[in-house]
Amino acid sequence: MSTTESNLGYAALLAESRRLDATGRGKSKIKVALLSDAATQRLVPILRTLFARQGVDAEIYEGPFDAIELEVYDRNSGLYKFQPEVVMVLNCVQALRAVFLRPETDAVSFVDATSKRIARIWEAIQTNIPATIIQSNFVLPYERFFGNFDQKVPESLSATVAAVNSRIAQEARSRGSVLLCDVESVASWLGRQQWFEDRFWDSAKYFCALDCLPYVVNSFVAIVMASLGRIIKCVVVDLDNTLWGGVIGDDGLDGIQISAHGEGEAFYRMQQYLRALKQRGIVLAVCSKNEMANALLPFEKHPEMVLRREDFAAFVANWNDKAVNIRQIKETLNIGFDSMVFLDDNLFERNLVRELVPAVVVPELPEEPADYVRAISELNLFETTSFSAEDAQRTEMYRAQAGRREEQAGFASVEEFLQSLDMRITVGRFDAFHLPRISQLMQRSNQFNLTTRRLSEIECKALMDNADWLPLYAKLADRLSDHGLISIVTIEVLPDDLAIRDWLMSCRVLGRGVESFLMNRVVKHAQELGLARVTAEYIPTAKNGMVKDFFEQFGFERVAEGTSGAARWRLLTKDYEPRPTLMKTAKE
Amino acid sequence: MPAMDQRQAMQGLTDVFRTVFDQPELVLRDDMTAADVENWDSLNHIDLIVAIERKFKIKFTTREITGLKTVGDLAELTAKKVGVAP
Repeated sequence: MSTTESNLGYAALLAESRRLDATGRGKSKIKVALLSDAATQRLVPILRTLFARQGVDAEIYEGPFDAIELEVYDRNSGLYKFQPEVVMVLNCVQALRAVFLRPETDAVSFVDATSKRIARIWEAIQTNIPATIIQSNFVLPYERFFGNFDQKVPESLSATVAAVNSRIAQEARSRGSVLLCDVESVASWLGRQQWFEDRFWDSAKYFCALDCLPYVVNSFVAIVMASLGRIIKCVVVDLDNTLWGGVIGDDGLDGIQISAHGEGEAFYRMQQYLRALKQRGIVLAVCSKNEMANALLPFEKHPEMVLRREDFAAFVANWNDKAVNIRQIKETLNIGFDSMVFLDDNLFERNLVRELVPAVVVPELPEEPADYVRAISELNLFETTSFSAEDAQRTEMYRAQAGRREEQAGFASVEEFLQSLDMRITVGRFDAFHLPRISQLMQRSNQFNLTTRRLSEIECKALMDNADWLPLYAKLADRLSDHGLISIVTIEVLPDDLAIRDWLMSCRVLGRGVESFLMNRVVKHAQELGLARVTAEYIPTAKNGMVKDFFEQFGFERVAEGTSGAARWRLLTKDYEPRPTLMKTAKE
Repeated sequence: MPAMDQRQAMQGLTDVFRTVFDQPELVLRDDMTAADVENWDSLNHIDLIVAIERKFKIKFTTREITGLKTVGDLAELTAKKVGVAP
């Protein structure tokens, strides 16, 4: 099986699960419900173990066997009593096949009926609880009743399963809070010959061989972790022998290997892979031990290079140790270490970074450059739970930000510089159009986030439709770039005061005064409603120390402090002095 | 794997049982049944079968899996299967 088998051995995981309770508690907790038409007993200990490895204590509700619909259509079911944050719906092809092969089944309408049935299950769950749903797809069966001709017959079993998978994906695309667990790709990667173990389907309703089970769970946990905001945002790459073969400083422009064919193809493919990551919103950065001029040379002069200088949001080439440089890149981009991956062919450099900045993800790279892309892909580092137009532009935004840093030097004061930017802000109530980006920001923001409530897309929609709430987003644009939707403030209107529930902002617009603009707006709103007070809360996390004094800066008074550093704040609206801001309201 | 007798199979099975049931001191006897080993339920039975199959590079049929009565039967069947070239 794959190279990570040692970490995902079935027996070892079960043994690890038995020792879980003794090994102490994780940092966060999650409630997960499992619904399936296959047996799930063995999934539970493996789920708990793989969550524990991520520092998460998972409380798991296992629905009764083959009772998905009974659970979701019953308001009083165990599922709803449990109030899960995540519901995994795991449908297996063995059960689907059994229905398909019944004499009374109409093969022509089967795809439609099956996908609608599944979508109705999601809708039932969503009507009852605000949970994220993770739906499995179906593993392609091994029966080919027509042989290769199966694919030409839409009503064949294998063509039907493929069509159902495609329909489920389509249905999920229009629903932000339904995510897919691509079990078919897990099975085909491991090999369907090993996947199917019919003896144990017959005797115990296991949907796959035991050895395959951990890989399904691993995939599922990866999705949940991404939905909790554990997302890789940046890939930091070395240059020599990572992006091209050879050493530019020694071998020169003609001596390095990078080309669409032959020996340099491994590096060409690596660059194509990185460019594709960049296009889906992962920011790229260079961290190389080189003279800057040498490091830039291939990007400027080599005709076969896929990546260009402007594909990188940060470009560091010097002789400092790489841990120092990675810290600098982190500062420049304003992201957390745990959202960075570092790729380097050199074992010494990898180990140095692992030692000095342990939060950075540092995968082993194989000696053979031809295997780089595969080794990285197998680790499945780039899970996400959303994709929006802004992802594709992220590098441009970070680059513009770096550009602003340079430009800033030419102005007498920061205010003067900010003034010159001609910033325009748009503030609006949540709407359907912005919901995907809103929930994405909810998942992603760690540092400038006062309460770090990870509201899902359906929860955000619920706020949007709730007249007692004022859920606001803010978008910012300036002369140099369009930052898109960068801040969220949600407010609940109570009888006597306005309560700020969520306040978060993307760190790429720090120091512009967006928060002042929004606070002015919030307090003004309270005054217009005749409310004397604005209340707020700060809940500390490992990452949001930068906003510890946020409310104090605006003249809030601390009214209560909890043991864990959580604090409640209060502002008398009559005492508020509107803060000066350097931005105008955009005309839409 | 070369041919083996029931006693040799029993030694190999002991390792597997100890791991699967998480009982490092477990000692097997021919007349033992599922009722004699703590946690030997239907789920662990499948874990056990798969672990034995992997260790001895053999495969049991569904009928064999459900038909086994005692540890002795299992050792005998294992020894027989190992002796037969696949």
